[in-house]
Amino acid sequence: MDAKFIDFTGLLRENGLRVSIAEHLDAFRAVEFLGVADREVLKSILRATMVKRSVDVPIYDELFDLYFCGLGRIIRRSAESLMGAMQLSEADFQALMDRLSDVLEELDIELSELAQALLQNDMGRLEQMLREAAARAHVENIQRPFQEGRYSHSTAQHLGLGALAEELQRLRDQIGSANLPPEQLQALQQFIDRRLQDLNDMIKRAVRLEVEKRDQSLREKNRLANLAEKSFYYLSEDEIRRMKEAVAKLAQRLKNVVAIRRRKAKRGKFDVKDTLRKNLQYGGVPFRIQFDRRVRDKPQVIILCDVSDSVRNVSRFMLQFVYSLQDLYSRVRSFIFVSELGEITQLFEESEISDAIDQALTGNVINVFAHSDFGRAFRQFHRDYLAAVNKKTTVIILGDARNNYNLPQEWVLRDVRQRAKQLIWLNPESRLTWGFGDSEMDRYLPYCDVVEECRNLNQLYRVIDHLVH
Amino acid sequence: MFKSIDDVIAQLAAQKYICSRRIATVVYLAAHLEKPILIEGPAGVGKTELAKVLAAALGLELIRLQCYEGLDEAKALYEWEYAKQLLYTQILKDKISEVVGAAVSLKEAVDRIAREDDVFFSDRFILPRPLLRSIQSPQRTVLLVDEIDKADTEFEAFLLEVLSDFTVSVPELGTLRARHIPLVILTSNNAREMSDALKRRCLHLYIDFPPAAQELEIIRLKVPGISDALAAQVIDAVQRVRKLDLKKVPSISETLDWAKTLTLLNVDQLDESVVNDTLSTILKYEGDIRKAQEELKAFLEKRKGSAGPGVADDKEFLH
Repeated sequence: MDAKFIDFTGLLRENGLRVSIAEHLDAFRAVEFLGVADREVLKSILRATMVKRSVDVPIYDELFDLYFCGLGRIIRRSAESLMGAMQLSEADFQALMDRLSDVLEELDIELSELAQALLQNDMGRLEQMLREAAARAHVENIQRPFQEGRYSHSTAQHLGLGALAEELQRLRDQIGSANLPPEQLQALQQFIDRRLQDLNDMIKRAVRLEVEKRDQSLREKNRLANLAEKSFYYLSEDEIRRMKEAVAKLAQRLKNVVAIRRRKAKRGKFDVKDTLRKNLQYGGVPFRIQFDRRVRDKPQVIILCDVSDSVRNVSRFMLQFVYSLQDLYSRVRSFIFVSELGEITQLFEESEISDAIDQALTGNVINVFAHSDFGRAFRQFHRDYLAAVNKKTTVIILGDARNNYNLPQEWVLRDVRQRAKQLIWLNPESRLTWGFGDSEMDRYLPYCDVVEECRNLNQLYRVIDHLVH
Repeated sequence: MFKSIDDVIAQLAAQKYICSRRIATVVYLAAHLEKPILIEGPAGVGKTELAKVLAAALGLELIRLQCYEGLDEAKALYEWEYAKQLLYTQILKDKISEVVGAAVSLKEAVDRIAREDDVFFSDRFILPRPLLRSIQSPQRTVLLVDEIDKADTEFEAFLLEVLSDFTVSVPELGTLRARHIPLVILTSNNAREMSDALKRRCLHLYIDFPPAAQELEIIRLKVPGISDALAAQVIDAVQRVRKLDLKKVPSISETLDWAKTLTLLNVDQLDESVVNDTLSTILKYEGDIRKAQEELKAFLEKRKGSAGPGVADDKEFLH
């Protein structure tokens, strides 16, 4: 049993759960204390001692079922399907097996352990023997589905399937000489044949189970690691949904990091004046030491998001990211544009982030199906909102600068930059393509303080980290 | 002490706390392995209540430490009573000069004082805060560290010593060891992810909203006057509302409030006007209330259509 737990823990780790040695020991102690008789209790124990993040719970549940119930389920299903195929009820099935053992006794035939377990449908013993054979065949080393055949064969050999087939063949002939009505004899012979076939299936399924365990772990790992690096352009529907969670998680992490940074930064030099004043109540004896508190300005942010078809996904995550972090800024104003500009600050104040983003992107604010015109949008910003830019403001523009050969109006950026603390441009296109075709990036570039390529979540994280630093 | 998992369920039920077998297993383990439990889950599912009920069931004292941003050791562990120390030095001035009086040199005077300095850093001047209290208590206690996610990360690190060894280091007094290992319960609303180091030292328990049948049992237990039909309707409505995308989903305690309100108003069946009047007991945001009203209106109408007037059977509400 111990070896089994260690193996299971290894499987958990492969799937990205962090299980420390201390936790593993706890699990051992707990299992020792409560026993393994009750599967539900066992599940609760292992979960309480080894699975500490709620995001890991679904993975754990799945793996537990696969690992601790998988083989048993295969054996049970096999017996059930046999009953179905022979059109027997459970009682009939039991009667059939009893009759067989009567016949065996009558003919004085001693069966091998495996044959007995199989023909008496002794699931516990069968499971154990299957498991041992699989271990001896090193099925746990299996990596790819195409190796199934080889490992099944090897498991069958270790289980002694060849000998069993001969034994059952012999048995089949022998019971012919017993004193039985023909239809009963036929049923018994059919039963024996089917069981042999069943065992074959069980082996195959058991090996496939092993593949599933491993395979799933590989898949899961790749998915999680790649998502943050995957370009926003190529996300599937499902990935967009999971990306939202990833963004929320990243935002939370950044919040923690910034909170720590700020707390550390707050502690300044020793403040004599304040210390004296605070300690007057102790007769001037300095029991409490006061330090300077440095006050940092929270950044003000203005975001201009291009939401034309080509960059909509990036804008979505950008907006979500920024708004998840809203309490890190003193003020955020956000605008979206395609060819006309619309303010969405209020939308975000009134409704939930994801709702607001959906509303903004489906054309409730501006016409999102127009052709991109950065120049026009910029001019509008200059006319209506330039007053909102002051020396504390960071202006972030998110767009691919593909202007459909309209007037670029880069002088707006010059004016904005003069007033703002800094101007950042995030471009979701690869740096190599800037300036080609209708891309006006080269014209806008001189007026920006920071220009970053922002094609995946990791890049986005770095940019925002830089922003709140 | 609990004898078995079923015993845990029974004893907690005697304290009017209904819990699933999973929760009972973890509690039983924690009580016997002497490990802290970290309980996570949405607000209002009875995390804090579990600690209170445990203390009551085991007949132990409950010591509660409410966490908040800026909580530090002085508030959680112990504090020297500076003012009292100062007061004593003032009162004992004569005595001190008596001790020092005969000394000829400054060095000798300091030596003499040094011989006495233990007086001022002794149990007499230490002010035990919850953690120290639970460790020094002559009986076993239940220590509830509530909303640990609200405390700073530094505080979490500081808790580690207490949680793994049940010792507290006071520089002036040395290491204080627990006389009885307390049953520690930490609760977290997931405002932030707890550190792995903390999680490693705890058993982890995630409590979610209970399934309908269990919540129904809770209502029957806590709101004795309620009719079965109404209880079932309330649960069905609440479970429906929870599925909506709300700013704040109704918790168990709010469900109970609603049930109590309805019984006080002598309502025996939910209908649209009653729902509209009382929905503010379970929902606290205007937008949420509007969403829930729409959902429940549709649901109530459908039920009226299918079941006809009068009370429909329980099964239909419970699915």
